[in-house]
Amino acid sequence: MTRKTLCFDSKKCVGCYACTVACMDQNDIDIVGDGLMYRHIAHVESKQAGEVRIVHISMACMHCDNAECLDACPAGALRRDADSGAVFVRRELCIGCHACAMACPFGIPRFGRDGTMQKCDACYARTRFGYDPACVEICPTGALSYEDVNEATAVRLRRFSKSFA
Amino acid sequence: MNDLELKIKGKIPGPDTGIEVRKSVCAICDPGTQCGLDLYVKDGKIIKVAGTKEAPHSHGTLCSKGAATRQYVYSPERIKTPLRRTGERGSGEFEQISWDEALDEIASKLNAIKKKFGSESVMFFSGYAKWARAYLMRFAMQFGSPNYLTESSTCATAMVMAQQLTYGAPAGPDFKNTNCVVYWSHNPSATKSLNLKGIDKKIESGVKVIVIDPRVTDLAQRADVFLQLRPGTDGALALAFGHVIVEEGLYDKDFVANWTRGFDEYKQLVADMTPEKAAEICCVSAADIRAAARMYAEAKPACVHFSAAPVVHHTNGVQNYRAVFCLIALTGNLDIAGGNRMNPPSLVHQPGGFPTREREFTCASKLSELPERIGSRRFPVWTRLCNEAQACDIPRQIETGQPYPLKAFFALGLNYRMFPGSQEFIDQLCKLDFIVDADLFLTDSAKYADIVLPACSSVERREIRCWPMGYVQFTQPAIEPIGEAWSDVDILSELSKRLALGDELLEAGIEACVEWMVEPSGLTVEELDKHPEGMWVPSAKPPAERKYLNNGFRTPSGKVEFVSSVLEEFEGEGLEALPSYREPAMSPISRPDLADEYPLVLNLGARLPMFQHTRTFRLPWTRALSPDPHADINPEDAAAAGIVDGAWMTIATPKGKVVVRAHVTNLVRVGDVHMYHDWPQANANDLIDGDYLDPISGFPGYRSSLCRIAPANGEGKGAVDD
Repeated sequence: MTRKTLCFDSKKCVGCYACTVACMDQNDIDIVGDGLMYRHIAHVESKQAGEVRIVHISMACMHCDNAECLDACPAGALRRDADSGAVFVRRELCIGCHACAMACPFGIPRFGRDGTMQKCDACYARTRFGYDPACVEICPTGALSYEDVNEATAVRLRRFSKSFA
Repeated sequence: MNDLELKIKGKIPGPDTGIEVRKSVCAICDPGTQCGLDLYVKDGKIIKVAGTKEAPHSHGTLCSKGAATRQYVYSPERIKTPLRRTGERGSGEFEQISWDEALDEIASKLNAIKKKFGSESVMFFSGYAKWARAYLMRFAMQFGSPNYLTESSTCATAMVMAQQLTYGAPAGPDFKNTNCVVYWSHNPSATKSLNLKGIDKKIESGVKVIVIDPRVTDLAQRADVFLQLRPGTDGALALAFGHVIVEEGLYDKDFVANWTRGFDEYKQLVADMTPEKAAEICCVSAADIRAAARMYAEAKPACVHFSAAPVVHHTNGVQNYRAVFCLIALTGNLDIAGGNRMNPPSLVHQPGGFPTREREFTCASKLSELPERIGSRRFPVWTRLCNEAQACDIPRQIETGQPYPLKAFFALGLNYRMFPGSQEFIDQLCKLDFIVDADLFLTDSAKYADIVLPACSSVERREIRCWPMGYVQFTQPAIEPIGEAWSDVDILSELSKRLALGDELLEAGIEACVEWMVEPSGLTVEELDKHPEGMWVPSAKPPAERKYLNNGFRTPSGKVEFVSSVLEEFEGEGLEALPSYREPAMSPISRPDLADEYPLVLNLGARLPMFQHTRTFRLPWTRALSPDPHADINPEDAAAAGIVDGAWMTIATPKGKVVVRAHVTNLVRVGDVHMYHDWPQANANDLIDGDYLDPISGFPGYRSSLCRIAPANGEGKGAVDD
């Protein structure tokens, strides 16, 4: 059995930024001070054969099972929450060497004014007690969810299969 | 971390963490979507917000604006005490005064002006939030002024008028029961993300979707037919739909024969607007027009999801939307399940399925005894259909003193940049003897007031709300007011005492007023107070279908009016009784002379999801998502002008010029410039004249005029934070 994790369905995302702001509210981010956004929205446009498409992507830490940032950190500042599997940073241990940023294939680690790394911790302090992460809780379209990844993919498999009907 | 430390970090409510969840409602945006707010309160202070799960309309979600509630409520820019102006108007120089001083001064000045110039010389204006409007209108009527005005002089009312002229009252889309939905200029991704809930399942179940929008939207990508029309040509497109539906006999012959007025004239009108002709006007394909028209007409029941402002922000706006609304009647989709249904409002413009006395509470019936309203000569159709004065005519009346002089302006939330030719609007307002504004923040508009009053946000006050499924909520304050802020209704109640208006009900305060308004529903304040999170109204009923069978339509003829009886009366003044198409007064086609110099179509007022007008501009969380004024332009136009994505560019019209960042995107048509409005340093609405208005509604033609773009070359940068 796999654990619950943050799942994202680009087919449902409308790029409304509710997740981004809810995350800042949950984490008391001082965005004009030393705080940084943990969740980012990208609006990706394409034009093929005259047809314009736009996809919105809500991106934060993937909490990889085989997390390269964890392996790269020489200071032991990155930890995995045993209960949820979330990867989180202990900023008081971070030495600001950026090794995690070089290792992360998704461009997630960011560094504030004090030079230490900041990122999403999958709200492990909420999921431990049965509450969804703040971004999932607020998402108006259900694009973000906190669930067993195999259940999420099963839904997509069914949706994809149906497209052949 | 131990469990308690973790819970505190996670902001988990409970006795151990001392965090309590209190219920309120978000009032940052429009009453049509306001969401239930869960406020996580610790030691009297909000430490987190979330959506209310049991709220049947919002299901526990919020948008980015509501999510930023904490920064809205606790903004360092909140006004803490009443203020009296000490410097020049607009300078922002004020002294703090007490509520007693402020209210006494307002009362004595207003009564003195009333005595000398008549009560009609005092205007009473409501911007956002809209919750206190019924109270403000009552206040104005009791004061004896016909000049109750709102920011709806540029938003929503013209859309309502188009429906009133056509079939008597607004008829909303019944999305739940429909087979086909036409989104006619509605982009919920940016404005009402809640409206997207359930769309996936609907589309999967085979519901047809037609999207009509000058921009590629999320919905457009999922549509069966997407018509990306030139801004301002909605009327031509709707008439072409009518052409196809009539020509192919797809209309509801019984309904048309029994319940409409002027079908023969309408038939002639649409005969002339072939899909080929409309294709040329609207810049879409004739085949797509035919496909969409057939899809809508054959899917019965089918509904039209309209929107408040985009279609009516044109100089032919009311007629354009009238042409759209005629299609609802033509296809027999009016007041049936799955079509467009009439559902009268219960409270704050929203239907709740239960009767109230809100309209009686406003004392609107007094209007007939009072002097004529602002705008009544210039916009007689507005005055006929709507209880408000038309605020777009304020500058003219101040300037000319005709038909009578205006002397004072009392506002609950003024944003002068809502108005076309905003600078002239505020310049004229400055000629008044006395201005009062209540607001949360010391806005640029508030800086022009002589007395500024600090108002509460929704979480600091009580207010009553309802939702269409028969749900009502009379909130309790979740926290103490910030500084000395007062609820707008408390301000009106206390002022009515000091003005000696003799209004016992308003003086008795909000609970007494609510008790009086909801009496016909069987609700009581005692019962409402037991459910601060909201409750189902036992007496609420879904609207009946085909109510016209008993009562007819609320038009002069009692029928749906292709040929409007009201507009017919004003044919001598240049209005047309049929929903004819006219080019925007400034378009490449109507003004080829101007188009040489200003070749692009300027569309003002597109929305971004993190902003509702200016209401969340000053919050760091939302502002960080879109820090600078900008406009969307197509890559072809950008290349032709030598502008790259993210660069500063100028947008110039015959009226003025602004400097904004270019957002180069394929989502807009070649030839269109879509500018986001309300920026203090780049005010879009100053790019058009104050008299660029629809003659029926007095609405500004924000969504279609002419402009040119050029690289800024450093120009204007000093005026913009870079």
